[in-house]
Amino acid sequence: MVKKVLVANRGEIAVRIIRACREMGIQTVAVYSEADKEALHTQLADEAVCIGPAPASESYLSMERIISATMITGADAVHPGFGFLSENYRFAQLCETCGIVFIGPRAEVMQKMGQKAEARRTMIQAGVPVIPGSQEVYDAKEASVRADEIGYPVIIKAALGGGGKGMRVAFEREEFESCFLTAQKEARASFGDDTMYLEHFVEHPRHIEFQILADTYGNVVHLGERDCSIQRNHQKMIEESPSVAISGELRSHMGEAAVKAAKAVGYTGAGTIEFLLENDGSFYFMEMNTRIQVEHPVTEWVTGLDLIKEQIRIASGLELPYGQQDIRLKGHAIECRINAENPKQKFRPCPGTITDLYLPGGQGIRIDAAIYSGYTVPPYYDPMIAKLIVHADTREEAVAKLRSALGETIIEGIDTNIDYLYEITGNERYRQGNFDIGFIEMLGQEEDSV
Amino acid sequence: MKLKGMFKKTCYEPQKSTSGHGTANQKPEVPDGLLKKCNICKAAIFSEEVKNGHYICPKCHGYFRMDAYRRIEMIVDAGSFEEWDKGIASGNPLHYKGYEEKLDTLREKTGLDEAVITGEAKICGSRAVIGVCDGRFLMASMGRVVGEKITRAVERAVEKRLPVILFACSGGARMQEGIVSLMQMVKTSAALKRHSEAGLLFISVLTDPTTGGVTASFAMLGDVILAEPNALIGFAGPRVIEQTIGQKLPKGFQRSEFLLEHGFLDAIVGREEEREVLSGLLKLHEPSERQGCEKDEAERAAYSVKEIDAWERVQISRQKDRPVGRDYIDGLFTDFVELHGDRYYKDDTAVIGGIAKFHGRPVTVIAQAKGRDVKENVKRNFGMPSPEGYRKALRLMKQAEKFNRPVFCFVDTPGAFCGLEAEERGQGEAIARNLFEMSDLKVPVLSVVIGEGGSGGALAMAVADEVWMLENAVYSILSPEGFAAILWKDSKRAREAAGIMKLTSGDLKKLGIIEKIIPEPEVLTINNFKELTRELEYRMDEFLDRYESVDKETLTARRYERFRAM
Repeated sequence: MVKKVLVANRGEIAVRIIRACREMGIQTVAVYSEADKEALHTQLADEAVCIGPAPASESYLSMERIISATMITGADAVHPGFGFLSENYRFAQLCETCGIVFIGPRAEVMQKMGQKAEARRTMIQAGVPVIPGSQEVYDAKEASVRADEIGYPVIIKAALGGGGKGMRVAFEREEFESCFLTAQKEARASFGDDTMYLEHFVEHPRHIEFQILADTYGNVVHLGERDCSIQRNHQKMIEESPSVAISGELRSHMGEAAVKAAKAVGYTGAGTIEFLLENDGSFYFMEMNTRIQVEHPVTEWVTGLDLIKEQIRIASGLELPYGQQDIRLKGHAIECRINAENPKQKFRPCPGTITDLYLPGGQGIRIDAAIYSGYTVPPYYDPMIAKLIVHADTREEAVAKLRSALGETIIEGIDTNIDYLYEITGNERYRQGNFDIGFIEMLGQEEDSV
Repeated sequence: MKLKGMFKKTCYEPQKSTSGHGTANQKPEVPDGLLKKCNICKAAIFSEEVKNGHYICPKCHGYFRMDAYRRIEMIVDAGSFEEWDKGIASGNPLHYKGYEEKLDTLREKTGLDEAVITGEAKICGSRAVIGVCDGRFLMASMGRVVGEKITRAVERAVEKRLPVILFACSGGARMQEGIVSLMQMVKTSAALKRHSEAGLLFISVLTDPTTGGVTASFAMLGDVILAEPNALIGFAGPRVIEQTIGQKLPKGFQRSEFLLEHGFLDAIVGREEEREVLSGLLKLHEPSERQGCEKDEAERAAYSVKEIDAWERVQISRQKDRPVGRDYIDGLFTDFVELHGDRYYKDDTAVIGGIAKFHGRPVTVIAQAKGRDVKENVKRNFGMPSPEGYRKALRLMKQAEKFNRPVFCFVDTPGAFCGLEAEERGQGEAIARNLFEMSDLKVPVLSVVIGEGGSGGALAMAVADEVWMLENAVYSILSPEGFAAILWKDSKRAREAAGIMKLTSGDLKKLGIIEKIIPEPEVLTINNFKELTRELEYRMDEFLDRYESVDKETLTARRYERFRAM
């Protein structure tokens, strides 16, 4: 078992990792930037090493400084958390070179899954469904044949595209040719190139992801799904498990695909396979996240596992003591992300000092946070300051608990999105679980039209 | 709330040995050579990253010194380098004690036989003789072997008619070889003179540090002199200077940027672009034919010359949004490489010059440069050249003569800069020298007045086979304001003066001072500039048709007669 873990991160995830280590009797080393001297993770760890000035590029992203801190403190493992260096295969490689246990998958696996085209190829080989798409096409007639193969609706994209230029969605064959020609004309005008691609257009999809755990002995289990469809500008806001859109049958079907994907790349540790789920139950591999995720607590609550501890155990070379049949999902968990930002001013980040703080508690309520009364949120990093996670027997109860807890969360001195979250969770469609990844955008449009 | 010391720490209890594999039992450690320290910013950096990144610190972008073979690898086409004269013995002319042993030790340690490597290679397909100094070997000081290897390489370049590229890096002369070392300065310089006389190109690339006898010989003799950023370049070392004059030297003294400003470098080139820049320069010096431009007769002469009052033309010629010299360079030529400096004192920003291609044919382009806005105008001294500007122009024209490139000059100046410093450095001499040399330049010269042709300041770039003017350009002995002030003691009578001075293109054509008028659109700006440059391009192409085939004697004789008749 590893004896001393250096946590190469900050904020609530660093605190979360330090707590897991404390419970396991593992010593902890925090690294911090000059802006994080007073941060909770810095104070909570057994040791703390300053690794540079506030900008992440000179501190939390500086591989050589983090490696040096590991050497100086004699830590034998590094936990990268999420963000920063967590998906940087070169960092993982470097840890391997220096004989440091990197708590995550092997560098080569990270590299493979980090490259979109390579990941897609691997998944096709492994028989995991990906969004059907074409090689480059130039001619409308030929493209129309491809579109039939791919299945409508079809999105037509310029190879050099960007900013929506040279992009059209054709919902049926009748309109395909005119859509294709318009898109191609636009592409030629905007990029001077008329190479086009076709892809199946996934309408109103949900973002469904599967958590997996894989040990170094080839055992892989999935821990069910998380529905992360409530997102703004591709930033997740509220996540839950299980998803109302997933039947038991579909769960085992998608779960199998996730396990297959993990096995195909020889994955080890905790990972997440992201899918787009279409109305009709078709699902497509999007990408694999080779790290712990922000929303991991919802899975922890429905499975009863501690994912950070599982990561540490797997990295220490222990075998998973359970199989797929032992994994049971119990109740319903929802997480929402509390950010220091102002939703009324285009979600502008609002760093500053927290003058007063009251956090809710009670049965089925969990707060993962990096804040305390008097703490100053620095302006340099991600604005997420806390996560509120609730658990109850049913989704209805969980939503009620979430709203109740949000209603008694008090963070004074800085702006937060708490009221905004409160509003969303009160929305009728949200309560019914009737949403897709366009939900927040739709809410915004409704508001504008009022 | 202050948290310091509030939390209880983990009480670590060794757990019972758990079965499991994968955990390293040995303590983590950083393998030797994985990290290195940057000498400049002191940061720890990955050796691998430095190696793959042209030996530039990824943190502070400071340059590490490179050894010769690595540099060759970085610059030349893979596998194209053929080394010459490996293993020449140096001897010990002063019988300096321990010298030979020292050389032996260094040979063993560095794997080099001496402080320079020479040979032939290709850079992006272009053949060149290349020599690279290696600072690990007695600070690449120039002893007999270094001098000999460079001289032989240059001599072979003459035989094979190849360009030479030398990467300098040196502490100077080699003390252990005394006066024999000093003579290497002459030997290398003399060889380069023969190389130059043979009409061949020499590019010198100065790297950190280039000092002493190397600076005072081959390093400073390039047709083109490039330097890496922030390299120390000088004759006397900074410490010696400080001790001699008893003063602290200013920051940046004797660095590349300082030399560029003082006119000794053509350009500072970052390591990432060195190969590309060198290849570009080599290509500009390879024989290439002009591809005649396809003329669309329907598009020609879109404008006709308009009836406008002379004073109005003066106003138009000075208009702020009128295209400036740089616009003509960008609009008429391709592959432009700007070359800087007069090699005496300064790089004058009021004159832009360099090599470019006109329809595939290498040419020399020189433009008097006004700015496009106030800020640039301040930088370019409102297009008023200092003596250094004229000397830079002349240097580039002599270079054009050596490489048989036609010269295109674009004239646009209120006049030569009128100031204390300009007089101190010989404004009059500089202008005179240009008239003197240009009258006999053995390549075709075309000057186009594009805006203001202010007196001697304009003339110093208008001793040409033909002089053309844009319709609204003016060319005169001085400004109408000045004319009125001198003759009538009233500068307000400028309009009247303009009327009688014969400064418009029409007047000058009638007087036989210029050959052609290029008609302009109603208001010439950068927006309708393209139509004008197209016409100009056609006419320049015709100019080359007329002059390129003329032999040198006839060319200079005609030019002589052109001015003789005035």
